[in-house]
Amino acid sequence: MLLEIRDIHVHYGKIAALKGITASVDEGEIVTLIGANGAGKTTTLKTVSGLRPLSGGGIVFDGKDISKMPGHKRVLAGIGQAPEGRGIFPGMTVEENLLMGAYARKGDSSPELKEAYELFPRLAERKNQAGGTMSGGEQQMLAIGRALMAKPKVLLLDEPSMGLAPMLVQQIFTIIQEINRRGTTVLLVEQNAQQALQIAHRAYVLETGRVVKTAPAADLLDDPEVRAAYLGGDLGAAKGTAAPPAAPAPAPEPSATSADAGGPADADSADPAGTRADDGEGGTAP
Amino acid sequence: MLDDFINQFWPSTIDGLSLGAIYALVALGYTMVYGVLRLINFAHADIFMVGTFAALWTVQTMGVSSAGGIGLIGVAVVMALVAGAVSGGSALLLEVAAYRPLRKKGASRLAALISAIGASIFIQQLFATTVIPWVFDTSKEGGKLPLNEHFVSRNDVVDLGPIHISNDKLIVFVGAVLMMIALDQFVNRTKLGRGIRSTAQDPETAVLMGVNIDRVVSVTFLVGGAMAGVAAALYFLRFEQAWFFTGFLLGIKAFTAAVLGGIGNIRGALVGGFALGLFEMYGSSLFGSEWRDVVAFSVLILVLMFRPTGILGESLQQARA
Ligand SMILES: Nc1ncnc2c1ncn2[C@@H]1O[C@H](COP(=O)(O)OP(=O)(O)O)[C@@H](O)[C@H]1O
Ligand SMILES: [Mg+2]
Repeated sequence: MLLEIRDIHVHYGKIAALKGITASVDEGEIVTLIGANGAGKTTTLKTVSGLRPLSGGGIVFDGKDISKMPGHKRVLAGIGQAPEGRGIFPGMTVEENLLMGAYARKGDSSPELKEAYELFPRLAERKNQAGGTMSGGEQQMLAIGRALMAKPKVLLLDEPSMGLAPMLVQQIFTIIQEINRRGTTVLLVEQNAQQALQIAHRAYVLETGRVVKTAPAADLLDDPEVRAAYLGGDLGAAKGTAAPPAAPAPAPEPSATSADAGGPADADSADPAGTRADDGEGGTAP
Repeated sequence: MLDDFINQFWPSTIDGLSLGAIYALVALGYTMVYGVLRLINFAHADIFMVGTFAALWTVQTMGVSSAGGIGLIGVAVVMALVAGAVSGGSALLLEVAAYRPLRKKGASRLAALISAIGASIFIQQLFATTVIPWVFDTSKEGGKLPLNEHFVSRNDVVDLGPIHISNDKLIVFVGAVLMMIALDQFVNRTKLGRGIRSTAQDPETAVLMGVNIDRVVSVTFLVGGAMAGVAAALYFLRFEQAWFFTGFLLGIKAFTAAVLGGIGNIRGALVGGFALGLFEMYGSSLFGSEWRDVVAFSVLILVLMFRPTGILGESLQQARA
């Protein structure tokens, strides 16, 4: 396992936000954490990134116990995050924001910069614009592109679809799949469970600081309890309102991947669907 | 009254700019620390005071008795280097001793503020009771403070009709502007500068980028302290006086300048510094020099009442620094 979260407990003051979360992410996977507001998804990601101290349990990454590693060192170890609310530095330009992603690394970061611009052509057009003046969708692309600048082994995404128009949501999910296809492991937190389950291999359901269910993502899509709680009702209704027709098929067959780490990584990447990220602007204008 | 103002317009402008340059350099330290930690570092005033004594020490050690022309520029550069290093180092120590332990414990901002006031008094009293008698020959002044050292031989180096600029004021102004340009380049063009800006804008995300906040805080104190040290050297060149209590009024003025420009905003500190220097000097020529401080703080109160985010008015998080 690339990332193992072992029975972690996290407190805000005296209040317990995480009451023993155990989860793991294997190399090459997309794993999703779903759950209602306040379930502890963000806290879990913050704790993995070292922004919140553990009051119990441990985190093992790439074979090493990183429970006590300071946050700023975890980036170099290989943990990248696009945080909830995107965390764009408002007074920095798009390019400066991207370069912040490579802050921890030594040496030339122009190849990564080029790759980020290739993945998000929209960002290349706006490289000198202040980050704070970008639209929501552009900011989300910037946050993801910035996290990739560190060449992370695992990319933590906290609600990348939050506040975006449906068309942009679709685009963001397509890009996440493409990033995964190019070899980056993804731990995805979402309230948009329908979409998240469609692209993920495995999923954990969180409720008030605990994992209440874990299964291959495809199984949860058909799970009546999960449908009722997170997918807005029964099978028929949910399918009707889901992704637009252009929705991509869930990348590699989910059934083949739950045990086999090699699966997603060697998927054919001849068609980088995520590069056409520049045509969804219309949906975001505030 | 208005006649005085008109007659004194150019001299007041020049005095205002050279005084404002000093305020601006000191204000940078307040604003940078506030930007990164949301802390008003009251002891910054005393870091400045330490710099004036470093400048005095430099002049005495070099044995300068009368300097003008190129020689004065040389003395100014050496004083600025020594005072910048001493003040920068003191600021670093201050952070480690007075603020870092509180931060590690997650103490409240109020606790840090109280620690700042305590540190300020500590540094003043340390100098008054120990450092000054130990390092300096106070008998020269009959044991009295402040200590004076007359070493600048002044002459007008610019004579353009009504505009006369003396060598010391010109050095103060040019020296301060050079430091401001250097700082602007550092903050906007270097990687560490980006680290400082990212921490000021969003410290949690900065950590996600791999920014070591402790390192950023240290660098911020070091740079802010060094700026105050250079300001102290320029102040000493201009007024030739060192006193353990100098920091008090000058510190409040520089803090006023920072608030005037918009605290947390680096360019705001520069604008605020020059504006305050000019207001003070124009105010003294209008109402008499005894009204100088009244004018300065009235300006502060008016700005806080009508434009609480300062002249540049950017919110802190948006500030391009
Ligand atoms: N900064 C904070 N201070 C106090 N409590 C917090 C803080 N952040 C989150 N919490 C609490 O921790 C729990 C988990 O929150 P969070 O991780 O943000 O959930 P989610 O991301 O799933 O919505 C909630 O009960 C929330 O109220
Ligand atoms: Mg959340």
